[in-house]
Amino acid sequence: MSTKLSLKSKTKKIGNDVKEKFSKEHMKESFENKKEEVAVKTVYKRDNIKHFFQTANSNVFASMCLMGLGQLMYKQIVKGLIYLSFEILSIVYFVMYGGKAIYNFFTLGLITGDPWLEIAGDNSVVMMLMGILTWFIVVLTIVMYYTNIKDVYNTQIRVLKGGMPEKIGESLAQLADKKFYKTILALPLIGVLIFNVLPIIFMILIAFTDYGGDIVPPELISWVGLENFEKLATLGEIAPTFLKILSWNLLWAFSSTFINYALGLGLAILLNKKCVKGKAIWRGFPILAYAIPGFITLIGFKFMFSVGGPINQIISDAGGDVISFLGIDAKWTARAIGLVVNAWISVPTIMLLTTGILSNMNTDLYEAAEIDGASKRKQFFKITLPFVIFSTTPVLISQFIGNFNNFGIFYFLRGGLTLDGYFLASDTDLLINWLYNLSIDNNYYAIGAAISLVIFIITSAVSLGVYVRSDAYKKEDTFR
Amino acid sequence: MIKKNSKNVKLKRAASTSLTYAILIGVSIVFLFPCLWLILASFSKSGSIYSFDGFFPSEFSFDSFITLFTDTSSSGYNYPKWFLNTLFISVMSCIFSTLLVIATAYTVSRFEFKAKKPLMKTTLVLGMFPSFMGMTAVYILMTQFNLVNSHWGLILIYSCGAPMGYLVQKGFFDTIPTSIYEAARIDGASNAKVFRTITLPLSKPIIVFTALTSFTWPWSDFILPKLLLKEKDMYTVAVGLMNLGETEFSRFAAGAVFIAVPIVILYFFLIKYMISGMTAGAVKE
Amino acid sequence: MKKTIKVLSIMIVLAISLNMLVGCNVDELRAKYSHATTFKRFSGELEENVTLRVLDNDTALKQGYFDELIEAFNKKYEDKGIVAVDANMDSYSDLANDGPYGYGPDVLYQANDVLMKYATSKHILPLPIEKLDCYGQVSEKAWDAYKTTINSKEYTCGVPVNIQMPMLYYRKDMLPADWQSSWDKNNNEVPDMLESWTEMYAFSKEIRQLDDDKYGYMKSLFDPFFSLGYMLTYGGYIFGEDNSDPSEIGLAAGNAELGIQMIMQLATIMNEEATDDTITLNAYSKMAKGEYFATMTTPDVYSMFINQFAMEKESDGMSKADALKYAEENLLMTTIPTSPLSGDLTDRDGEQIGSKIVGGINGYAISSYTKSPVASLEFVNFATNYDNVMQRNEMLGVVPARLDAVTALGGMELNVYEFLEDGDLVIMPSIEEMAQFWPPMQTFLSDVVMDAFRDENKRKFSTLTLMKEGLNKVSKQIFDAIYTLK
Repeated sequence: MSTKLSLKSKTKKIGNDVKEKFSKEHMKESFENKKEEVAVKTVYKRDNIKHFFQTANSNVFASMCLMGLGQLMYKQIVKGLIYLSFEILSIVYFVMYGGKAIYNFFTLGLITGDPWLEIAGDNSVVMMLMGILTWFIVVLTIVMYYTNIKDVYNTQIRVLKGGMPEKIGESLAQLADKKFYKTILALPLIGVLIFNVLPIIFMILIAFTDYGGDIVPPELISWVGLENFEKLATLGEIAPTFLKILSWNLLWAFSSTFINYALGLGLAILLNKKCVKGKAIWRGFPILAYAIPGFITLIGFKFMFSVGGPINQIISDAGGDVISFLGIDAKWTARAIGLVVNAWISVPTIMLLTTGILSNMNTDLYEAAEIDGASKRKQFFKITLPFVIFSTTPVLISQFIGNFNNFGIFYFLRGGLTLDGYFLASDTDLLINWLYNLSIDNNYYAIGAAISLVIFIITSAVSLGVYVRSDAYKKEDTFR
Repeated sequence: MIKKNSKNVKLKRAASTSLTYAILIGVSIVFLFPCLWLILASFSKSGSIYSFDGFFPSEFSFDSFITLFTDTSSSGYNYPKWFLNTLFISVMSCIFSTLLVIATAYTVSRFEFKAKKPLMKTTLVLGMFPSFMGMTAVYILMTQFNLVNSHWGLILIYSCGAPMGYLVQKGFFDTIPTSIYEAARIDGASNAKVFRTITLPLSKPIIVFTALTSFTWPWSDFILPKLLLKEKDMYTVAVGLMNLGETEFSRFAAGAVFIAVPIVILYFFLIKYMISGMTAGAVKE
Repeated sequence: MKKTIKVLSIMIVLAISLNMLVGCNVDELRAKYSHATTFKRFSGELEENVTLRVLDNDTALKQGYFDELIEAFNKKYEDKGIVAVDANMDSYSDLANDGPYGYGPDVLYQANDVLMKYATSKHILPLPIEKLDCYGQVSEKAWDAYKTTINSKEYTCGVPVNIQMPMLYYRKDMLPADWQSSWDKNNNEVPDMLESWTEMYAFSKEIRQLDDDKYGYMKSLFDPFFSLGYMLTYGGYIFGEDNSDPSEIGLAAGNAELGIQMIMQLATIMNEEATDDTITLNAYSKMAKGEYFATMTTPDVYSMFINQFAMEKESDGMSKADALKYAEENLLMTTIPTSPLSGDLTDRDGEQIGSKIVGGINGYAISSYTKSPVASLEFVNFATNYDNVMQRNEMLGVVPARLDAVTALGGMELNVYEFLEDGDLVIMPSIEEMAQFWPPMQTFLSDVVMDAFRDENKRKFSTLTLMKEGLNKVSKQIFDAIYTLK
């Protein structure tokens, strides 16, 4: 015990001696080395900012002043130049456009355009959008700045540990292998950010403006804070309509998802049976339905169920009374027809998908089960179903989302009705149809955006709750 | 005793087989009938849907198909051109979307990284946002990029939006045993190589499914093209058909039938890849 | 997520406060730019070597009229290098969406309600109409449809070309052989059923009794564009102050409920198809087959009716030329019949009053985003001159808005023009709020029509009082749609 201790102190002492000697020769560097030593020891406390400032060396500070400088000082030329050029580009951008765009984002324009006098004026909508885009670039710049510092700090630690600064080849190799996900995800991420996230943020922000009605470009739009939400809360017409539509929307989303999923899965399992010959042909029939664009199908079905349509023609030929399937009084028949038509359109997709997944199932499991003498039914409930449900949870969720926001069905089957007790909606309209009526047909963009924000918060909380609790999210590797 | 039993089993099997076929026939009729109706409607002699005798037209002719392809000058109804436009947009966005979706799904399924769970949650939540609400933004964005009235603008939007639907594909990748990967990694294969040599061949069914869906989306979508394509010559078939007068139903039906053909062909061409998954035994070590 | 919300809320708060700060500058800037020089854009020289993109309507393209028009125009202005081309766009494309970004047409042809929607946001230019060839000839009422008041100054933003008024289409060969003796009480050589709704009602009833598969007058009655007239006839109106004040909705004014009663009575001679657009769509073939005697629609679809009819006759064995001739002779248009003062269609001997009907004025307008306004005006002037308006009438069957043209044409065209002058043709309000008018009105009307087919005990509108209540309710709905969220 004691020998061990003394040995330790001895080495320490030797180390100190060496260091002292070293420091006499290179005063300045020794100071830095001390700093670096601390850095090595507490490398895992990197998040601690105070600590970071105590330990960071001059190269790190260099990168803090000018992106890429530290990397250049470590002789990481390519990386340093990339960071440097990024900084130059972003400075140029902010001086030339970015600053103005941010300013415009706040003002949403000052000059009202007048097309009669050829005064182009400010387009508030464009300004808001370009403003958001510029905020994206601001965030990107901050992220780049942060990674720049983190990178050079990591290099500092690496060097302290006795390594060499990473060569560009190594960095690239890392990106192609260990950090492969970064490489792969970069492109989709940018695309999604610009074409999905940006419009969503735009719409969310619209909810805080007075956009809509008479105030559309060339008129200037301005920020109004929570005014739209106040309107929603205080107006008597909105809340009852909202609740009525929401409850039907939820009922619709759950039932149509269940029906489509059960039928699609059932069909796939049926077609997966060994006794079925000519599977490709049998599968071909649902594919016919799949091949016809949805809106054409819907127009066709609307005609079939219309008062003058073939179904009613048959009924009246048989001496019956004409039934108005989708008419003004046909609340539940219209809803039921919606469910059926939606199933007709969606089942083929689910069948295709579950077919693919079923064929991916490990047959070993079945062989084992058969040896154990498990019945077919038991095999289905113990093996097939858990596997299928696990691997199709995402399908279920995306089906649910798709059905929740299923615009086409009732727009085509029963559009244009505004019924008693509903504000600008009918009893088959889903929230998305109502939003469409409000924001597109009646030009209430800001109110529409405010409502969709409310809906969005509710539905995303619900579906997030379900998803986070699902096995597909929690135990990704159940069937690996 | 044993004989009786086996007879019983045979009987049961026969019963179950015939029941299966009965259901299949029923299902096929359900799916076939409206399609058949549409096909026959396209051969109707009079243009109007209301001149039919019950479900089907009273007189047949090829007229609507002939006018569909020959009457291209007047009123800008240029179906052949639209068909080519649609084909171009669909094929291009099919290629890009499939690449992006598969890559995204694979990455999210295979890699563990800090931002993974937040990323999964965020994409899920973003999907809940009613998409048409953002249409104004998309339109203005495209005017700023000068991509209005351009097919590439559409391709860009379709491809960029596609990775949002990666969850389904991720679900598939989640079912591929990790052991295969570990073995490969031990052999020293890089992630890129693992993806190329193991994942891709294994994922044929899901890739084909993805390709098919990302082909059919632009193929039948009319909201985006209607928003972004201004000139009639640039239209896709869906937009063009939507613009067709309501009295020209047989022409509408002919256009609809013709647009369904490539998808059916594509299906019969691709189906064998979709169901030859792991069961082929290629991966059982 | 929380972080995002935080960032977003900070951004919004910042935005609002900054906006307040700069607010004072805005007014100054606006004042600086609000000098009105209305026709400045038209005072320049005629632009040379320019291409004008013209958006005309689909029928004009289909029937070949538009090609002739631009060919003639291009020939005339060949030396100046001005070329008019088809904008090749959907005729319902939205100028407000396309124009500001440079994708819209230079000249566009549309109905007045569509065009004037653009005028409020100044997407189409105010025109120096006095300079135009057609100025003195076009009815003052037609010009009114294109007038708008901005900052208490009146502008005219479109040039009327034709009058869109719903017409009664009927099959002459389906008139009873002895109509001159039994259906011409006033001996004016015009069948009574084409003169009054009461007679049309009686005749339709007779047809129904004779043959269960045949109908007399058929129309999708739920369509407000065609059915509003019944209410207007009895004192109802759409908006206050000559259809310019949307805060006053007069659907229930006067005895408008009599119009509802008339619609419900008309529904009894039809079938459930009147509740949706089935009849509008199937009228082409059913008229051709002789299953309907009459329907109501606008003149611009006349050629389609004729084509369908001729096709039907052809398949009966007539030669192509004969079939077309037969169709043109036997499928005719006339102005709408008169209405009973009592509002009761069974009242065949009572006093008759002139019917009102809703229509529109189609015309040309010039986009504010055009690079060549003078040349565009030149095109509009050319397209609305006497010869071209007459040509349009000949090829498309539409009724010109020019007095000299309708005088030359006489007959039906002159009748329509008189309808407009007398104020019996009510022009669709040229204000944006009209968009919020249609859906509630349409729903209400399909409810009304449906009521005629409901069981006795389930009727919603069984008495005139209930009808009036219904009208009041729908007026309130429209008002709410317009003002609740404003």
